[in-house]
Amino acid sequence: MVNPQFFIVGAGPAGLCAGIAAAEQGVSVLIVDEGFMPGGQLPKQTHKFFGHKGFFASVRGFDIAHQLVERAEKAGVEIRLETSVAGIYEDCIALWDRKKDHVWESKPERILIATGASERFIPFENNLLVGIYGAGAVQTLMNQYGVLPGKDFLIVGSGNIGLIVGYQLVQAGARVKAIVDIASKIGGYEVHSRKIERLGIPILLNHTIVKAIGKQKVRGAVIAPVNDQWKPIASESRELFVDSICLAVGLQPSVELAAQSGSAIDYIPALGGYIPVRDPQMRTTIPTVFVAGDISSIEEASTAMMEGFIAGFQVAQDLTGTDMQAKMSNMRDELTALRRGPFSSKVREGLGHFGIHFPSGGYRTETQTETGPFDTMKALIECPQCIPCNPCETSCPTKAIEVGGNLNGIPWVNYEACTGCGICAMICPGLAIFMVQKKGDKAVIGIPYELLPLPEKEDVVFVQDRKGQVLGEATVIRVMKNEKEKTHLVFIEVPIEWADTVRSVQVPEQKKNDYICRCEEVTVEEIERAIDMGYTDYEELRRYLRIGMGPCGGRVCRAQTLQILSSKLEIPIAELEPGTFRAPSIPLPFRAIRRGETDE
Amino acid sequence: MNDPQVVIIGGGITGTAIAYHLAKLGAKRVTVIEKDYLSSGSTGRCGGGIRQQWSSPYNVRLAMKSVEHFTRFREEMDMDIEYYQGGYLLLSFDEEEATQFEENVRMQREEGLKVEILSSKEVSQKYPYIRTEGLKMATFCKTDGHANPHKATFGYANAGKKLGVAIHTHTNAEQVDVQSGSVKGVHTTRGYFPADIVINAAGPWSKEVGQLAGIDLPTESYRHQIFVTEALDYFFPFMAISFSGNFYMRQAMHGQFIMGKGDADEVPGINRNVTYRFAKEMAIKMVKVFPFLENLRILRHWSGEYNMSPDAQPVIGESPQLKGYYYSVGYSGHGFMIAPAVAEGLAHIIMNGSSPFLDLAPLNTHRFRGKTQREKNVV
Amino acid sequence: MDTRLKEHPILDEWGGENLSFWFEGKHLIGHAGDSIAAALIANGIDSFGQTEKGTPRGIFCAIGKCSACMVEVDGVPNVRACLTPLQEGMRVSSQAGKGKPIW
Repeated sequence: MVNPQFFIVGAGPAGLCAGIAAAEQGVSVLIVDEGFMPGGQLPKQTHKFFGHKGFFASVRGFDIAHQLVERAEKAGVEIRLETSVAGIYEDCIALWDRKKDHVWESKPERILIATGASERFIPFENNLLVGIYGAGAVQTLMNQYGVLPGKDFLIVGSGNIGLIVGYQLVQAGARVKAIVDIASKIGGYEVHSRKIERLGIPILLNHTIVKAIGKQKVRGAVIAPVNDQWKPIASESRELFVDSICLAVGLQPSVELAAQSGSAIDYIPALGGYIPVRDPQMRTTIPTVFVAGDISSIEEASTAMMEGFIAGFQVAQDLTGTDMQAKMSNMRDELTALRRGPFSSKVREGLGHFGIHFPSGGYRTETQTETGPFDTMKALIECPQCIPCNPCETSCPTKAIEVGGNLNGIPWVNYEACTGCGICAMICPGLAIFMVQKKGDKAVIGIPYELLPLPEKEDVVFVQDRKGQVLGEATVIRVMKNEKEKTHLVFIEVPIEWADTVRSVQVPEQKKNDYICRCEEVTVEEIERAIDMGYTDYEELRRYLRIGMGPCGGRVCRAQTLQILSSKLEIPIAELEPGTFRAPSIPLPFRAIRRGETDE
Repeated sequence: MNDPQVVIIGGGITGTAIAYHLAKLGAKRVTVIEKDYLSSGSTGRCGGGIRQQWSSPYNVRLAMKSVEHFTRFREEMDMDIEYYQGGYLLLSFDEEEATQFEENVRMQREEGLKVEILSSKEVSQKYPYIRTEGLKMATFCKTDGHANPHKATFGYANAGKKLGVAIHTHTNAEQVDVQSGSVKGVHTTRGYFPADIVINAAGPWSKEVGQLAGIDLPTESYRHQIFVTEALDYFFPFMAISFSGNFYMRQAMHGQFIMGKGDADEVPGINRNVTYRFAKEMAIKMVKVFPFLENLRILRHWSGEYNMSPDAQPVIGESPQLKGYYYSVGYSGHGFMIAPAVAEGLAHIIMNGSSPFLDLAPLNTHRFRGKTQREKNVV
Repeated sequence: MDTRLKEHPILDEWGGENLSFWFEGKHLIGHAGDSIAAALIANGIDSFGQTEKGTPRGIFCAIGKCSACMVEVDGVPNVRACLTPLQEGMRVSSQAGKGKPIW
């Protein structure tokens, strides 16, 4: 028997925070999780979180997971991994330790079910082919394990998850051919969709996937625009060459255990589907059972944390008698602030079904029209929507940015106070802040950059507009590297006409794979770089790069190498030393040599 | 009576089979009312076994007759109910029981049933995947088998509908209208249904439904849990059952193992929850006898009710107190397997006054006044 | 085909030392910290078995909720590859349909 006072199913943000809240009041807490890494969906999130400074804003998901686990363990929470809750039976909770293959029974005083949600699946022709993944699966593989399951992706769904995974795929070196969404507007935050668009990835609204092509694995996909009845218009369908299809079509709460515990479950589409009925303190219709996180509404990690804390505080009050009203009220205020914005309107509507009301509004909704002057470097914020986020405000050392009221407000810059330090641009989770300086016929733009390879000073890069359209080339004049935050600023100089359009850079493809030496696989670029480094003689190049040292003896590559040398140094080939020709001119076997010696 | 108005309360195998047989005999005004969905009671939750190896000649005859029905079900009802004769292997782990089994086999053979007796060694040789430690002997009847109880219920319901039977699901019976000692009709949530005949086929709720007519039936419902595992390649064709060992298990056509046991600690009442204790006890018990189960996992676990009578035999007949009120209840865990024969018999009695092949009289309630013979072959 | 990421703009590094394991009798290398699914995909194997009808089956959710990734590990069938950590010496095979009885 394993009998903590407080049994938590799920070591994601909701479960961890509930555990922290209760354990810090002296309650004995056990958290079990099916996976072998705690943190729920956090460890695979490589992007910076929104919200405010007090609640991990601008911290990357996996860092949040570390911090929460550390705090939980410090508070005395026991976390058991690779343990599945097989069921909440009439007589006990059965937990299956999969490592030891051993089932334990538990009869705790309080239970929190924080089992999160699971990916939705949509029907389309051939949707069982290998290579069709849930968006979360792609994130897990590439971010948690460093494994890319494919190279060319189609993403279905333009909610935050689809947009974020699309960007993360590019960061991991994959290609995203398109994002399609059957709706007529983008589901996620515009700052996320803009990051995608300026990479040149099209977001096709009013489009759907019609079928996956392939026999056993995905080889392509057919997409088509839809009509008013959301039916695909076959005559306008087209094929995309992709080897992976990523479905980001929504999540549904995992309510099985809550139902088994006897809690009432209601169908509330605004919250994501079937939802356990609960009160403002996250208590279900069974007084000993609580829920928090995505199971109680598909929302964000920050709301999961806040709800987790509330549940934990209530349990602590139940079990220790300590008055936790102040702490719960505080957390409720956090939830309220976050949920005031337009993106929380569905959640507010859904919670209304339970008689739980959250207010809306109370923040600035206008974007700043008067920006600048930009005669010295200044920040330019392109954050057009009210989303609950304000690290720009809290990070500015001269207090030049304010979001106007509640953290859902649209940030405005006080240009007199702005010193152009660039801290806000590096901290913005939406990569929506640019540094701009206009001087005469030129402009310098600082672009937040999170891809590899990171350009270096003097590199020539392509510059792109907000839709990823290449406008031309520019030279990188400065790179502000931020090893801690991993968001760097790349400064390029462009003609003044482009000052309001250039918002992205693209490093030209380095590896062209144009080989000169077949035996040793030496490319044009490597030869040119060596010459630039000072190896200007054919023999020097040979020794440095091993050109011509393979079985062909230089027969294939010598001439070409001399050609490159000639054009780089601007010396005619006739005047270059071609290197020595020496025996043997083909590889000669010992055995034959010895035979020549022994049998006359 | 050639065309009575009949209202049957209960849409499980019993209710739908009786409705069909009545319609087949010419009744044109038969209605079945079911408070939930068809087969939502005991029928839909049972293991689906069809056994003829009983300890009383009466039961053996009923079961053998039912097997005839199951055998022609697909043809007659135009529905495949996955009926398969894989046999039943009755395992005995008790000397006294073993002796009783031998007597039973003698009786069963007299009734015309072909049954084999196997020694423990023979079981081990024939079925090497059974661990025979402690096994005294076994009996095997190869015409025993199993079928899909949901499909069988739907089969009867659809065939009945084709003959004019009306079926109302999600309809509760609220009161039986009685006048001068006869039934007149039934008040339901869908309105009033006049009736010359009311049949209580309410399975787990037989007692409560009986009370709607002021009739006291000596039946009690007890929870029985059951679960199904993930699939293995199909190799285990029979139902293995043991009364002394207290278990039953069979492998379904798609490879999953269905199993259950009795629980002496259950209290009367409807309880659809499941306990971990059951899973634990089954896992320990079954792996001992069937070691190949070791690595399998439980996929789904549910419960249903045995509607028990004091002697584990069904309670069937017309109420001596209330004219026109019939009951076919208390099947004590073997309703599915004998329902077809009883249904046909009862339909004959209602329409023609008597049944040509079956005397259902011994199953009426008056038997409880005297000493009853308990059916022992029940898990 | 190696699908392992060698560099990443945000993440520093993943798993640890090399681990030997076998898939369908073929010797492969995975990393400490991999799930069995990740190790297989890293080695270019993206279908782990077949459905009961013989259709190749790949992973879908990668967090244990959909049961698409079941493989047989060291003789034990129906192991969810996405939630089980890779261990040195594991013998993994794809699962075609149902497991085989062992007695």
